[in-house]
Amino acid sequence: MPVQYESIIKEHEEVRSNAGVFDISHMGEFLLNGKDVIPFLQYIMINDLNLLEESKGQYSCMCYENGTVVDDLFYYEESFDLFRIIVNASNIEKDFQWLSDHIKEKDVKIQNFSSKRGRLAFQGPKSDDLLQPLVDVDLSEIKRFYFKHCKLNSIPIFLARTGYTGERGFEISFDKEKSEEIWNALLNTGASPAGLGARDTLRLEASYSLYGHEISDTITPVEAGLNWLVKPKEHIDYIGKKILLKQKSEGTERILVGLNLLDKGIIRQNYKIFKNGNEIGYVTSGGYSPTLKKTIGLGLVKTQFNEVGTEIEIEIRGKFIKGIIVSTPFYRNV
Amino acid sequence: MSYEFPSELMYTTTHEWVRIENSFATVGLTDYAQHQLGDVVFVELPDIGMVLEKESNAGEIESVKAVGDLIMPLSGEVMEINEQLDGSPELVNSSPYDGGWMMKIKISHPNEIDELISVEKYKELVKSEEQ
Repeated sequence: MPVQYESIIKEHEEVRSNAGVFDISHMGEFLLNGKDVIPFLQYIMINDLNLLEESKGQYSCMCYENGTVVDDLFYYEESFDLFRIIVNASNIEKDFQWLSDHIKEKDVKIQNFSSKRGRLAFQGPKSDDLLQPLVDVDLSEIKRFYFKHCKLNSIPIFLARTGYTGERGFEISFDKEKSEEIWNALLNTGASPAGLGARDTLRLEASYSLYGHEISDTITPVEAGLNWLVKPKEHIDYIGKKILLKQKSEGTERILVGLNLLDKGIIRQNYKIFKNGNEIGYVTSGGYSPTLKKTIGLGLVKTQFNEVGTEIEIEIRGKFIKGIIVSTPFYRNV
Repeated sequence: MSYEFPSELMYTTTHEWVRIENSFATVGLTDYAQHQLGDVVFVELPDIGMVLEKESNAGEIESVKAVGDLIMPLSGEVMEINEQLDGSPELVNSSPYDGGWMMKIKISHPNEIDELISVEKYKELVKSEEQ
C-alpha cells in the first residue's frame, strides 16, 4: 500500500465523511486448528477467550514473560477448533515463530496464509450503504467485532466488522488472486482509495496503538493504557500474567497520555517531553490531525505527570514548545 | 509525474526556487519538492532581519508525513517572510511559485548567483531523483 494516492488529508477526510478502501494485504494471516486451540491461545494471549464466541473476533496482545509486547492482533473464532489470526506486517515471522514454539504437545496446527490471501479494509460512515449491494448477507446482522463468510460479487470473502480508523467499517480477507476484482468493485461504489499515511492519521485520532510506537518489546500494555486488555483469567495461566496483573493493580512508573500543543508546531515520534526543564518522557506518535486541524500526539510520561491539563514542553529541533496533557481518544465515531 | 518549473527562475539542488530582482531574491519550494512532501500543515520561517549564510537552514516545512528543510540558496538578510503561510500553509502545495513563496532576502554576495542552477539542469536533477 502506498503512503498516499493523492493527498493524505483528502483521503483522511473521505474516510471520515464517506468511505475509503485500504489495501492491508501486507498484514499477516494465520489459521490455527486443532482441539487445543482455545487453551493454547488462553496461555499465549492476555485477553480472555471465554468472552469470545463463534463468529466473533477479539483484540488482544501476546506478551513476553516480562509483560512487554510480542505483538497486538485480532483473532476470530471460526469454530472452537479453528481460529483466524491477523497480525502486524512487520511481525509476521516473529509471531509465527512465537506461536509455533509454544505449541509443544498441544493439538494445534498453525498455517501461514499471509501471502496467499488478499486483505482490504473498507471504512467510513457510508461503508454499510455502499457495501450492501455487493454482498449476499444482511450487513445489519453483523454486529461490531463479529464476522461472516459470504460472497462479494460471487467471490467468497471473510467479512468482519472491525477496523483501525475510528469509523464504522469492515475488514475483508479473500483469495489473493481476487484482489484486483474486489479492489475495483469497492472503488466503483464511490469510495476512495486510502493509503498508509491516512491509515496512520486516522488511527492516531482514534488513539489506537501502533506496534513499535505505543506498544513494543520494551513497553507493556498497562503502560500503554490498555488495562482493559489485561484480564484476571482466574485459574488460567498465561505468559506475562504475573507482572501485568501486578502493574494493573499497583500502577506503572510511566503511562501513555494524549498530547496537544499550545504553541505552533508538529510533534513526531521520539521527541522529548519536559516539565519545568526536566525530561519526563517522549512522544510515541505525533502529527497533524486533519479532523481537528491541529497537532495531536501520544506520549509515555512519568505517571506523576499524567493528569489531564498538566502543562508540559516538547522539544522540537532544539526549541521547547508548550504543550498540554489531554484525554484520549481525540476522535471516534464507532 | 509532470511538474511545473518556470523557466525564468533559478533553482538549487535542495529544491528551492529563486527569483532574482536586482539585489533581492524571493525564495520558495519547487513543485517537485511540494509533491514529495505532500500536504503541508506548518511552515516555520526565519525572523526578519536575520542574516544567514548560503546553505544554512532558514526554516522547516512540516507536512502530514514528513518534515523538510528550507535552505538558504544565497547568503543574505531576511527582508520579508510570507505571513500568509501561518494560517494557510497549504499554499505551498496549491501555489508553489506564487502564493506559496516563503521569504525575500537581500543578496549579500551577488557572485553566489552563478552557483544556482538553471531550469534545464534542475529538470535533469528531478529526473535522476525520480529513478
